[in-house]
Amino acid sequence: MKLTRRDFIKSNAVAAAASVAGVTLPVSSTVAADADDGIRWDKAACRYCGTGCSVLMGVKDGKVVASQGDPDAPVNKGLNCIKGYFLPKILYGEDRLTKPLLRKTNGKYDKNGKFEAVSWEEAFQTMAEKWIAARKAKGPKGVGMFGSGQWTVWEGYAAQKLLKAGFRSNSLEPNARHCMASAVGAFMRAFGIDEPMGCYDDLEHADVFVLWGANMAEMHPILWSRLTDTRLTKPGCEVHVLSTFEHRCYELADNGMIFEPQTDLAILNYIANYIIQNKAYNKEFIDKHVNFTKTPTDIGYGLRATDPREKAAKNRNKGKLSKISFEEYAKSVEPYTLEYTSKLSKVPKDQLLKLAKAYADPNKKVASYWTMGFNQHTRGVWVNGLCYNVHLLMGKIAEPGNSPFSLTGQPSACGTAREVGTFTHRLPADLVTKKDAHCKFAEKTWKLPAGTIPRANGKTDGADQTDISGKPMGKTLIHAVAMHRALNDGKMNTFWVMCNNNMQAAANMNDESYPGWRNPDNFITVSDPYPTVSAQAADLILPTAMWIEKEGAYGNAERRTQFWRQQVAAPGEAKSDVWQVMEFAKYVKVKDVWPEDLIAKMPEYADKTLFDVLYANGQVDKFPVEQVTDSRGNKYENDESKDFGFYVQKGLFEEYRLFNSAEGIPKKGHEMADFDAYHKVRGLRWPVIDGKETLWRFREGYDPHVAKGEGVKFYGKPDGRANIITAPYEPAAEPPDKEYDLWLCTGRVLEHWHSGSMTRRVPELYRAVPDAVVYMHPKDAKKRRLRNGANAKLTTRRGEIVCKVDTKGRNKCPEGLVFVPWFDAGRLVNKLTLDQTDPLSKETDYKKCGVKITRA
Amino acid sequence: MNICSLIVYTKPDHGPQVTKRLEQYQGVEVHGGMIEDKLIVTVEDEGESMSPVSDTMNELRNVDGVVSTTLIYHYGGEESMEEMNREIN
Amino acid sequence: MSDSKDKNELNRRQFLGNMLKTACGVGLVGLGLGAYSKRASTMPANYIRPPGALPEEDFLGACIRCGLCVRDCPYDILFLGEVGDEVATGTPYFIARTGPCEMCEEIPCVVACPTNALDHDLKDIEESRMGLAVLIDQETCIAFHGLRCEVCFNVCPIRNRAITLDMQHNPRSGKHALFIPVVHSDACTGCGLCERACILEEAAIKVFPMHLAKGQLGSHYRLGWKEKEKAGEALVTPDTEHRYNLPDGVRYDLQGEGLIIDGEAEETPFSSNPLDTLNSGFMDK
Repeated sequence: MKLTRRDFIKSNAVAAAASVAGVTLPVSSTVAADADDGIRWDKAACRYCGTGCSVLMGVKDGKVVASQGDPDAPVNKGLNCIKGYFLPKILYGEDRLTKPLLRKTNGKYDKNGKFEAVSWEEAFQTMAEKWIAARKAKGPKGVGMFGSGQWTVWEGYAAQKLLKAGFRSNSLEPNARHCMASAVGAFMRAFGIDEPMGCYDDLEHADVFVLWGANMAEMHPILWSRLTDTRLTKPGCEVHVLSTFEHRCYELADNGMIFEPQTDLAILNYIANYIIQNKAYNKEFIDKHVNFTKTPTDIGYGLRATDPREKAAKNRNKGKLSKISFEEYAKSVEPYTLEYTSKLSKVPKDQLLKLAKAYADPNKKVASYWTMGFNQHTRGVWVNGLCYNVHLLMGKIAEPGNSPFSLTGQPSACGTAREVGTFTHRLPADLVTKKDAHCKFAEKTWKLPAGTIPRANGKTDGADQTDISGKPMGKTLIHAVAMHRALNDGKMNTFWVMCNNNMQAAANMNDESYPGWRNPDNFITVSDPYPTVSAQAADLILPTAMWIEKEGAYGNAERRTQFWRQQVAAPGEAKSDVWQVMEFAKYVKVKDVWPEDLIAKMPEYADKTLFDVLYANGQVDKFPVEQVTDSRGNKYENDESKDFGFYVQKGLFEEYRLFNSAEGIPKKGHEMADFDAYHKVRGLRWPVIDGKETLWRFREGYDPHVAKGEGVKFYGKPDGRANIITAPYEPAAEPPDKEYDLWLCTGRVLEHWHSGSMTRRVPELYRAVPDAVVYMHPKDAKKRRLRNGANAKLTTRRGEIVCKVDTKGRNKCPEGLVFVPWFDAGRLVNKLTLDQTDPLSKETDYKKCGVKITRA
Repeated sequence: MNICSLIVYTKPDHGPQVTKRLEQYQGVEVHGGMIEDKLIVTVEDEGESMSPVSDTMNELRNVDGVVSTTLIYHYGGEESMEEMNREIN
Repeated sequence: MSDSKDKNELNRRQFLGNMLKTACGVGLVGLGLGAYSKRASTMPANYIRPPGALPEEDFLGACIRCGLCVRDCPYDILFLGEVGDEVATGTPYFIARTGPCEMCEEIPCVVACPTNALDHDLKDIEESRMGLAVLIDQETCIAFHGLRCEVCFNVCPIRNRAITLDMQHNPRSGKHALFIPVVHSDACTGCGLCERACILEEAAIKVFPMHLAKGQLGSHYRLGWKEKEKAGEALVTPDTEHRYNLPDGVRYDLQGEGLIIDGEAEETPFSSNPLDTLNSGFMDK
C-alpha cells in the first residue's frame, strides 16, 4: 500500500478521534496508524495515589518524551490530575542517585563519616555483616525492614520471603501501617476478609455521597471528578462532607459539616441511634446477615507503656469481641441523642439530622468514603466499624451505589502491602503469622522446612521455635511505630527503609525517629531514587530504579491489579527494589541465620545462600528469560531478568498466586488471573474467576463465591455473617490545653504527593506550591498578632517548626484548629506530631495533638 | 498545511444524512461513526486555494443535524505539498 | 538573568542617589524624563503597575521616579523602567510570570509613595486593581480537557471570589466533571499569582492591564435581569395575573416551565395521597 506523509498524519488524526469517541472504524481507515513515528507508546499505572489511573508513556531513544492519560482506562478515561500530567518529569530530577553511598572515614565505614560512593558488592557486604550480627545478638526483632504501599507486587513478595522465611524475622512492615492499617483492622473484624466490597462504579450509582475525613477533591482528584459529575447530572443527588476543617470538597457539599476532632465516633453512633429509634433498620437483612458484638473500651493510645495515659487505660490494647443482642446494641447507642451529639461535635442539629435521614431513607443509595480522617485515628478501627454498623443496619452494602468504601492513599497499598501481606502479622492472601496452619501452608508452598517462619507467639505445634542464638524465639511481632522505638532503645540494630521516606513521614521525629536512626549501635539502609530526608539520616544509601524503570504491578483501592513493562533504563548503577532484595539475599547464608535443628530438617540447604533457597527454588526461577514484547511487536528490556537469568517478575507472581488461586488454599476470595493475562488488560478487579472480574463482593450474581439462593453472604466469616461492633466515643490523647491551645492536623495537598520527594523535583509543581504553610482561622492569627503571610513558630511538647501563616487559602480552619501539610522537607511537621496510634491497628494518628503558635 | 480530526456529534439517527452534507465541503472527509451518531471527520486545507480549516470547522457546526463538534487532533506544518505527498513506505 | 538584576540594582541606586543629592531634584528628574516617557507611553502588555497606581496618564504625571516603592517592596518584585525600555523610564512595574505581587496586607509600596501616584486611599489590598487575570487560552488550559489542575484557583489569594470553578459534565468521558476556572473582574486584583503558578510552559492565564483585559458593553445597553435585581422589582408595571384557554389537566406557568401537562410524568397511576385513590372509586371502567 502506498502511504504518503499526509496519509499518515491523517490516519493518526482519524485514530485519535475514533479512540476518544469510542467508535470502531473499518480497518482501512486506521491501518496506517501503525506506521512508526519514532515514539513507542505503552501503558502504566500512575505512580502516585490509590486511585489507579492508567497512563500511556511515550518513549523515544530510551527516554520518556511524551505522556497522556489512557483514554481506554475505565478509571480515568484519558484524564489525569496535575501530578499525573507531569509524570515523566519525576524520573528526570537532576539529583537522581546513581551509586551506592556509604558513610566512611579514612576508607572505612563510620557512623559519623561522610557519604562516599561504593560498589554494590561493598554495600551489600557491609550490610550483610551488620544484619547477621544483629540477628544473632538481638533475636528476630534485632533486624527490621520498612517497605511500602508503593512497592510493586513482586517487590513486596520478594521482601516478604527475605524477612519472614530468610531471616526468620517478622520485623517487616510497610508504610501502609501509617495509612491503611485501621481500615484493614475493621475489614477483618467486620467481614473477616480485607478490602472494599464495592468498586468505583458506585460513584455513578449512589444517590448520596458522604465523605468522612476524606479530602477527595485534592487527594483522589479523578474520583472526585466522577463524583462531581454524578452530583451535576443525577437528579436528587446529595453530597455530605464531614471534616475537622473546611477543604475543597465543601465547594460541592449540600451539607458541609465541621466537627470537633474525635467526635466522628459520636456522630456515627447518633446515626445508628436515629435509625433504631425510627425503626428504619432493615430487619430482614440484620436477622439473616449480621451478628451484634461489642469491643473492650478504654484501650489507651498506643504510646510507650511508661506514658501515664497508658498506665491509666483499663483495657490497654484489647480488642476481643464479645456477642451481644440487638437490644443491647440499641441501648449502647441510646445516649447519642441529637442534642448530646450536636453539643459534643459542634455540628448544628439540622445538619446532623439531614445526614441521618439520608442514611435512614430506604430509597436512597448511600456511598460513604473515607481516607486518613478515619484511618489515622487513635480509634481508627472503631470508627471504620461504626460506619459499617450504619450500612449494615440498613442493609446498604455490597450492591451498586450502596457502599462503605475505604479509599487508599498509595498506588499499591492494596495490591502489595495488604494482598501480599507485608505487615509483621501477615502472610500473602489474608493469612496470618498468628496461625500455625497458615505458616505451615506458606512453608510448604515455599518448599521450606516446617517451623521456618516465626509464629507470632514463637511456638509451633505447641513447642517453642528455636532461634539462631539457640534460645526460644519468643514473641515476634513488631509494628512500624514500635520499630522506631526499638531502634531508639537499641533493641533493633539494623533497619532497611525501601520505597518510602519514613524519617519525614513518621510521627515524633525529635524524640523517636531521629535518635533511633542515629543511635551509634544501629545501621540504617535507605533505598531511594533521590536524596530524601531519610537518605540524609541513613548510613548506607542504595540508588533505586523507580516506577517504569522496571516491570511492575500495582493494586488500587477497588481491587484492580494493573501491570506495566519496563519502559526505560534506570540512570547509572541504580537498581530496582526487587533486584536489591534478591541480590542482598546472596550475601547471607542459611547457616548464618537458621539454627541447626531447623537446618537438620533440610540439610541440603546448609551451605546455600538465602537467594538459593528463596528465589532459585525451582518455582521463582521456573520461567526462562524471554524477550518481552507487546501485541504490536515492540520490544522491552527487563534488567532484573537479564541479571538473574530468569523471568523474575513472572516467577515471583506465579509463586504468589499459589497463595490466592491454587487448589486447597486456606482462604478463598482473593483469586487472580495469571501473569500473562494482566499484561494484556487495563487491570482486573479480583476475585478473578474463570477470567471474570468481580465488581461487587458478597452478593449473589455479582460474586461467584456466593451461591445461588444465598442472596448475601459475608463469606470471610465462618457463619457468613458480618459483625456490627458497638464502640463508644472516647476523647483524644492530647487535646489542646492552656499552653498548647490549638489542635494540629496534618495532611496533603493536590500538587504534591506524600513527602514530595518526587513532585517537589518537578519545577512546575514546586512553583505552584513551594512551601508548606500553616492554615489557620484569621481570628486565631489575629489573637497571636499574626497576619496572612507572616512567619509563625509552631511548638508542641516535642518540637518546633517555622512556617508562613495562611488565613485565606484553600483550607479554612475553624477557630481552635490549624492544618499543616507534610510534603515539605524544609518544614518537617512530624517534629511536632505525637507518636500515638490506634491500639488495635497500630496506625499513627497524625490528625490530633496540641500545638502553640507564636510570632517567629 | 493543516490537518484536523474532529468528532461531530449528530442528532440521533442523523449520521448518514449529516455525512452527505459534510462531504459537500472541500477538504472534509467522514471516516465512520454513522451508527453511533459520532462521526469521525478530518478537515484539511492546502494553502490559499481553500478556505482555512478553522473556517470550515466553524461552518460544520452550523450544518443541519449537527449537535456539536469536538476538535481532537490538529497537525499544522510548514511542509510543501510535494513533501506531504511523498511516499514514506 | 543575574546580569539584568544587577543592572536593575544599579539603576535603582542611581535614582535614590539623585533624590538625596538634589533637594529640588525631584522636579528636575521628573521633567527631564517626562519628555522621554512620552515616546514610551505604551507599555508592554505584561508590565503591570504596583497596587494603587492611578490611571496610566495620571500616574505618569504623579510619579516622580523616586524608586521608594521599589525599595520598600519586601518581595523585591518591582522593577524601574530603564532608558530605552518600553516603559516610562524610572517608573515602577512588575512582571507577573516571574514575580507577581504578593498582596501584603500593609501595602508598603503604597505607603512609601511620596506623591500619591500610588493612591494612599488604598487601605485594603483586596480593593486594588493592578490588572485583570484572563484565562487567555482555553485550548491549552488542561482544566478545559478535564484534567484536575486548578492551580490558579488554588493559589488565588481572593479565595473563591476572583477565580471560581465552574463545574460541568464532561461529555467526552461521560462520567467525569470539568472544573473550569472563571475569573471575576469584581474581585480580581491582578496580582498575578495565578500567572506565576500556571503549570504550562507558556501560561494559559495571564494578567493584563485593565484596559487590555476588559471588554465594554455598549453604553446604552443594560442587562434587564440585573437591572430588575438591582431595583428589587420590575422597572415597569408588573404583569397582572394571566389566564389561558386550556384543556383539562393542562396548566400554564408564565414565569417558569411554560405548558405543564399534569400526570404526564407520573410513574404510577396513583396519587401520592392515598385518600385521593380511596375517594375516587374504582379505576376500572
